[in-house]
Amino acid sequence: MLQFDQVSKSYPGGFVALDRISFRLEKGEMAFLTGHSGAGKSTLLKLISLIERPSAGRVLINDIELSRIRRSQIPYVRRDVGIIFQNHRLLMNHTVFDNVALPLVIEGFTGKEMVKRVHAALDKVGLLDKVRCLPATLSGGEQQRVGIARAVVNKPPLLLADEPTGNLDPDLSKDTMRVFEAFNQVGVSVLVATHDLGLVARMKYRTLTLKQGRMINDGLLQYQEPV
Amino acid sequence: MSILFTGRATGAAAKKISLLRRFIMFWLNHVRQAIASLGELWRTPSASFLTIAVLGVSLTLPATLHLLVKNMQQISSSFTQAAEISLYVRDNVPANQVQSLVTILQADQDIAQVIFVSKQQAMAEFQQISGFGAALNYLDTNPLPDLIRVLPKNTAAQAAESLLQRLSSERIVEFAKLDIDWLTRLNAIVSMLQQAVAIIALLLLSAVLLIIGNTIRLSIMNKKDEIEVMKLVGATDAFIQRPFLYTGVWFGIFGGLLAFLVVEMMLWWLQSAISNVTALYQSDFSLQAMSFSEFIGLLLIAVLLGLTGSYLSVRRHISAIEPTGP
Repeated sequence: MLQFDQVSKSYPGGFVALDRISFRLEKGEMAFLTGHSGAGKSTLLKLISLIERPSAGRVLINDIELSRIRRSQIPYVRRDVGIIFQNHRLLMNHTVFDNVALPLVIEGFTGKEMVKRVHAALDKVGLLDKVRCLPATLSGGEQQRVGIARAVVNKPPLLLADEPTGNLDPDLSKDTMRVFEAFNQVGVSVLVATHDLGLVARMKYRTLTLKQGRMINDGLLQYQEPV
Repeated sequence: MSILFTGRATGAAAKKISLLRRFIMFWLNHVRQAIASLGELWRTPSASFLTIAVLGVSLTLPATLHLLVKNMQQISSSFTQAAEISLYVRDNVPANQVQSLVTILQADQDIAQVIFVSKQQAMAEFQQISGFGAALNYLDTNPLPDLIRVLPKNTAAQAAESLLQRLSSERIVEFAKLDIDWLTRLNAIVSMLQQAVAIIALLLLSAVLLIIGNTIRLSIMNKKDEIEVMKLVGATDAFIQRPFLYTGVWFGIFGGLLAFLVVEMMLWWLQSAISNVTALYQSDFSLQAMSFSEFIGLLLIAVLLGLTGSYLSVRRHISAIEPTGP
């Protein structure tokens, strides 16, 4: 479903963020994207969500080349891709309900249908009791889960997460990953960028490892006990 | 419909909704967004009030100037009514010839009204007004001529003059008189004032446009983060624009209303002063306030300016904001 074909991305000044990356992510597959900071994880996700365009190579979703997507079509592509951000990117002066409802409002949902879907999404991440709260009154982990609820509320077929466990303690991290697993089990393709290698190895999913813009590993990651 | 995922129904369109219901929802959504924008203004009362006050003042000036011109025209039109032609009849013309001229003039298509003042009437009037009274009785003969006052249908200076030419060639008319220089001057001044008012109004209205555009630009900048998030979850520019356009419309409505109130208060304040002046001139001039259609016109112009100002600003600035990444 998602395919990278010899994709490179370099920024003005000569910095090469991605160097000839190729991989495929099948429908209903879950994979991790790891690597140190600056290895190009975020850049790769930005190419999928059309925040950046590749310098060379092709990014395809369902065999449609993203470079053929016109600027005016970008919003419609983003509706098909749920994105979870490391720094949550919630609207701080709106309630949890309004934040989660935003993608639905944009797509023209109203009334009962919207309320039903928002409640379903918040229920999945276990925040149904915080529906009227402002994000600022929630903990970091809860804010992250509001972000997840917003990403999945319109049931996108592809889910991207950028360091979703970046600010969470190990237990919360595990819970968050379980949420992604649950979505994956109902057929959503999931790509999670994280540098939490221990967690990745324990989860036993395909892992793409980036190092200085190159793909150095594609497959299961061997878990090494810390010495 | 999704671009990338064929068969993935997206949005509310996925549900089977009747056309009528969708039509109603469309307008309902607009009303909801309009009210939401109003709420947004309400939440920042001091900033909103300042903007509205600036708009109100900027709109008050053109509105006042418009009223000034309107009242000037009222005065000058009462003057042009006085643009009558006086025909002085030769001495010793038999009364029946004078009468037949009056009848001919009354049938003339260019003439609105003919008033005949005989020499006896003129004498009586003169006696009354001049204060010579009985002294005039000592005159042997009445020195005043018969007078025919003609009001032309077309009171414009040129038409009146050509009528004057025609009437002065009548055989029994000694001479005809029309104070035409005075009339041309008045008309010239009024039309100059009108043009000056139009230019000033144009300048002030473009100021309103710029003020609204700048205010909307600032509020877009304030909401940069929010706009980025909306773009990231798939909002189109049109969707993001709408609340800002409604804000512009509300600014227009409130600015227009404020301008109307200020103008009304100004008229109320000036009313007594003006009636004092007009009483001194024994004129029946009364100050004309804004009519209902002018009020609606003012509001429409204000709303249009608000919408245009915010549209110009929104077009430039919302597409310029692009999310920089997860």
